[in-house]
Amino acid sequence: MGHMIIRKSTLAVEGLLRYVGQLTLLLMRILSAAITPPFSAYRILSQARRVGPGSLMIACLVALFVGMIIALQMAYMMLKLSAEIYIPNVIAVSLTRELGPVLTALIVAGRVGAGITAEIGSMVVTEQVDALKAFAADPVRYLAVPRFLALAVMLPVLTIFAVLVGIFGGFLICNFKLSISSHMYWSMVSDSLAIKDIVTGLAKTAFFGIIIATVGCFEGLNVKGGADGVGRATTLSVVRSFILIIMFDCFFTFIFYFLFNA
Amino acid sequence: MYEGKNSFMKDMIEIQDLYKTFDRVQVLNGLNLHVREGETKVVIGRSGAGKSVLLKSIIGILRPESGSIKINGVDVTQLSDRDFDAVRRNIGLVFQGGALFDSLNVGENVGFVLDEFSKMPAVEKRQRVAHALSLVGMSGIEEMMPSQLSGGMRKRVSLARVLCMEPKIILYDEPTSEVDPITSDAIQRLIIEMRDRLKVTSIVVMHDMNAAYKIADSIAMFYHGQVIADGTPEEIRNSRHPVVRQFISGDAVGPITEDESMKFGHVK
Repeated sequence: MGHMIIRKSTLAVEGLLRYVGQLTLLLMRILSAAITPPFSAYRILSQARRVGPGSLMIACLVALFVGMIIALQMAYMMLKLSAEIYIPNVIAVSLTRELGPVLTALIVAGRVGAGITAEIGSMVVTEQVDALKAFAADPVRYLAVPRFLALAVMLPVLTIFAVLVGIFGGFLICNFKLSISSHMYWSMVSDSLAIKDIVTGLAKTAFFGIIIATVGCFEGLNVKGGADGVGRATTLSVVRSFILIIMFDCFFTFIFYFLFNA
Repeated sequence: MYEGKNSFMKDMIEIQDLYKTFDRVQVLNGLNLHVREGETKVVIGRSGAGKSVLLKSIIGILRPESGSIKINGVDVTQLSDRDFDAVRRNIGLVFQGGALFDSLNVGENVGFVLDEFSKMPAVEKRQRVAHALSLVGMSGIEEMMPSQLSGGMRKRVSLARVLCMEPKIILYDEPTSEVDPITSDAIQRLIIEMRDRLKVTSIVVMHDMNAAYKIADSIAMFYHGQVIADGTPEEIRNSRHPVVRQFISGDAVGPITEDESMKFGHVK
């Protein structure tokens, strides 16, 4: 029984490492294509439009409710300690450093990452990717690079909006329910945030964007079979992006903790 | 073996001892094939015989395990992807389902190569696209999206996209399958016209024997990943090879058995 568990765990870790290795190889190809001409601003901008404005409403809506939830949950505890004045700090720091980047990344992975896999996967099964190769157009340059750049740039932008709206959600509760004045709330928020919180939050987000694009393109380009294969790849893309986002978030939090607190 | 009516012409495509395996299924099994400059070679054989794999190997989408593919004297199997690109720009592949880019309209699809790889002025590009579409009898549909086209129209647009490149070699993957008889005839005429007017060398994969006799300068039959017969339409029609006879007469009884393609796998 023990041996079985060890064996299965070893296989799972081996599989994960192999997968991350394959993603890294694709990422290297994307990066090398991204920094060498020809460049296509049109393709990058059209993808950026799909990622950014397309996901803005849903990311902000979720962040608004999360900001309100944190305020209420904190109020539940802080009121007992008569420390409700610190609720704006908790909201600002948790949203900026953690919840804003991660939740926005998960939303975009579900919405955009799945879309990338489904679109590229459909192109594979209808031989459009082969047609690109036949016309000497590198599918990585043509399909992956614009999506990669769009996500790496637009995800941090989306996160900025989501964090601001989330903090505003917290303000609604603090101001109308907990009687913290508007001036007090916003000055507590700005006092509690250091530049490093904002930078680390946004750096993480750019990396999450890279994960979503790379996983989405990898799963799409490796679709096998027909519509069934596209469906399976789309599910895998979302699941694997989620796992990698959370895993790397934990890793980054760990690194930043020792970097800034050791 | 076939010497052909243009035996003085040099070989444009020379394939020797080609092997390709998919999931332990030997799809190409030491295949040899020669196509002369300006010749239309029709390749026949059962589904899964490796015909499409051959076309994709010639254009470098698939890489064979061993053997050589010489195009105009250059062994492309030895080329890196980057070096292959220069060769690819002289070869056009008309895909079975058209493989038009869904996100681009017909005009953008046909002018794809010009948009991507040439610095041609926009007006000239538009003229080239319009000319390519007129060659396939599809003038004035530049603004339509691929999803609005019928199967036959997609095939024609796909051919126009290839013609826009002005390739020296055109590879057709089942150009007349899944289209009505009139469209099929129009496509066959186009293939003949491409050879006569533009002097292109072609390999046409097809199952329709009547069409094959009509358009081919020579016909090669694939069986078990090898060419078992190669000759003029007349020679193939009169072949005594039992496999060839069974295939061209479309007889279910004979050396080719029903479950054979399962053994050899259906590999696109």
